[in-house]
Amino acid sequence: MNKQGKKKNASSAGARARGQSNQRPSSCCGKVRPASGVDAGPLAWFNDMVDHCLDYAAAQKKQGKHIVGLTCEYTPRELILAAGGIPVCLCGGDEGMIPAAEEFLPSNLCPLIKSTFGYSVRKENPFLELAELVITETTCDGKKKMYELMAGNRRMYVLELTQKPDDPDALAHWIAELRKLGGVLAEQFGVRITAGKIRDAIALMNRERTLRRALAELMKAEAPPLTGCELLNMKSIIAGIPADLEQYAKALRVLPGRKLDPPASERIRVLLTGVPMPHGAERVIKIIENNGGLVVCQENCTGIKPILEDVDAGAGDLMLALAEKYFHLPCSVMTPNRRRLDLLRRLVAEYRPQCIVEVIWQACLTYDVESFFVRRLAEEELGRPYLRIETDYSPSDSARIGMRIQALFETIKEHRTK
Amino acid sequence: MITAGVDIGSTTSKVVLLNDDGIMAREVIVNGALPADSAWDLFQNTLINAGIQRKAVAAVAMTGYGRRLANFGDMIITEIKSCGLGAVAQTCPAGQIYTVIDVGGQDTKVISLNDDGDVEDFAMNDKCAAGTGRFLEMLAHKLGLTYPAFVEVALQSTAMIQMNSTCAVFAESEVVSLLARGIDKADIAAAAHEAIAQRIGTMVRRIGSKEVFCFTGGGAINRALAKTLEEALNKKVFIPPSPQTVVAQGAAIAARQKLEQGEKT
Repeated sequence: MNKQGKKKNASSAGARARGQSNQRPSSCCGKVRPASGVDAGPLAWFNDMVDHCLDYAAAQKKQGKHIVGLTCEYTPRELILAAGGIPVCLCGGDEGMIPAAEEFLPSNLCPLIKSTFGYSVRKENPFLELAELVITETTCDGKKKMYELMAGNRRMYVLELTQKPDDPDALAHWIAELRKLGGVLAEQFGVRITAGKIRDAIALMNRERTLRRALAELMKAEAPPLTGCELLNMKSIIAGIPADLEQYAKALRVLPGRKLDPPASERIRVLLTGVPMPHGAERVIKIIENNGGLVVCQENCTGIKPILEDVDAGAGDLMLALAEKYFHLPCSVMTPNRRRLDLLRRLVAEYRPQCIVEVIWQACLTYDVESFFVRRLAEEELGRPYLRIETDYSPSDSARIGMRIQALFETIKEHRTK
Repeated sequence: MITAGVDIGSTTSKVVLLNDDGIMAREVIVNGALPADSAWDLFQNTLINAGIQRKAVAAVAMTGYGRRLANFGDMIITEIKSCGLGAVAQTCPAGQIYTVIDVGGQDTKVISLNDDGDVEDFAMNDKCAAGTGRFLEMLAHKLGLTYPAFVEVALQSTAMIQMNSTCAVFAESEVVSLLARGIDKADIAAAAHEAIAQRIGTMVRRIGSKEVFCFTGGGAINRALAKTLEEALNKKVFIPPSPQTVVAQGAAIAARQKLEQGEKT
């Protein structure tokens, strides 16, 4: 969509944050028809997720809370919450932001980085504009160096993420990094981060993770009651909003038994892995599901990966408990990243996909190289067809991606009938 | 029973009519501005030339990049499946061809087949025109040569020039600088074919395909590309009698199979 001519006002900024225009529905699941006879309330609630988040952020700020941006699942939201902050995910999913970013960044860079930075350049992500602090991290080199540019006019703090997941020294450094972050938050917001506040924040995040995990686990069913697209649509960019948690609980009550149209039995079960799909960049999952697939599991950072493990709120050393949970995230920046392959083994057993589709944002080196191991695991060990899709945010290759998905499904169906 | 396969590609459209004895007709047309209209015209003309009515065709299967653009088909088959079926039918019996390399206008596909000739795995070029027919057409244009002349001079070149870019955009500027250095057009043309063949060779090895190769698509008509591809793979590649209509033929076969299996179209 062309945004060049649009007026810069609050509502159009909101629309951009939603990756939305008059032509584009805010839900990523435009083609999915509503449920047959059951209350689809919780699903509809999340169609307006960005609006709810904006209202919530504005209200919280008025009450003296601090909006804190983050761009990675390694950043512990609990610490932000314990410091009286509202953690907001700032990852950009809008293609329209990329040209502005390319005035500063190389074009051969991951679209997620460029879109996030483009929002910053154009000052059009209302959450970033509300944020008093942005917490970033040293995951991939592209993000790390982009943050240096962003720091020109934003208050930022960089967490140094160590990358040898089984090395005790690496964990020790990570713990030290989180302690420093606690100090920075306390100083910036003039608060004391007590153990009690951390425990409350852990309890809140555990509750959110438990609910979201239970929703994701609905997809284990032979006939899942929602699509992968609908599930992704229920991810909020602000963690711990009470109204969201209520809707999650409600969804868990009303969704079981819901029938999809076309029925799940006629669709190919897909496990999606690879890069995260921020709000606005759900194109590939849509293509998969519009071509006869059902994404039963999303092994990525916008899916199940960050919510699999909880934090022990009763732990003696809360920083250690937090550090361990987050350090266990199997991102491709870790080396070696065996936990991801173990996780895939487990998820394939639990969710019974008929194939594995990996999405790689163009120029995402770590996921791209690691795809070698994922393909080998899928084809040789798990006996599942594997399809790797390298793309960016522009829809120019949608027809070709659709064709590859159809060909994959054709192959699976043929092998099934023989 | 008569079935038709219509393959609407990015550059050309192809129609194949199939009856119980085999191929009744096969035609190729260069697309106009609206590929669906070109395909419709071609389909009409093919029926007229074959002397049959539309109603005599039991099913029309659409395939190719434009398969959803036209509305005169009865079913849709992906070009991956069509290509596998067509290659087996045109070249050798199943069990002998294991890897099909298809170079089209905007796509290059490598398809790996099992013993029964069914698609087992496939790879395609991602978001990029490198290694496609379009890439060669662009370079021919840059050299001021017609496409046939471009192929002909490439075959005659004896010098080994390295071309570093297989990116369609950067290759153009590389061609300009090679010309500025006084390099012979024939050697540049040969280098362009070589660059593509190497890229396809990497794709083939990446998919780990078994080594009996069939080369299809418009790219297979290009003798210089076929020759360099054989060199890059260090293997003979079988080229079917009508490489451009392999996919359309495969679609017609798929339509026939579907009707025989009594599936609803």
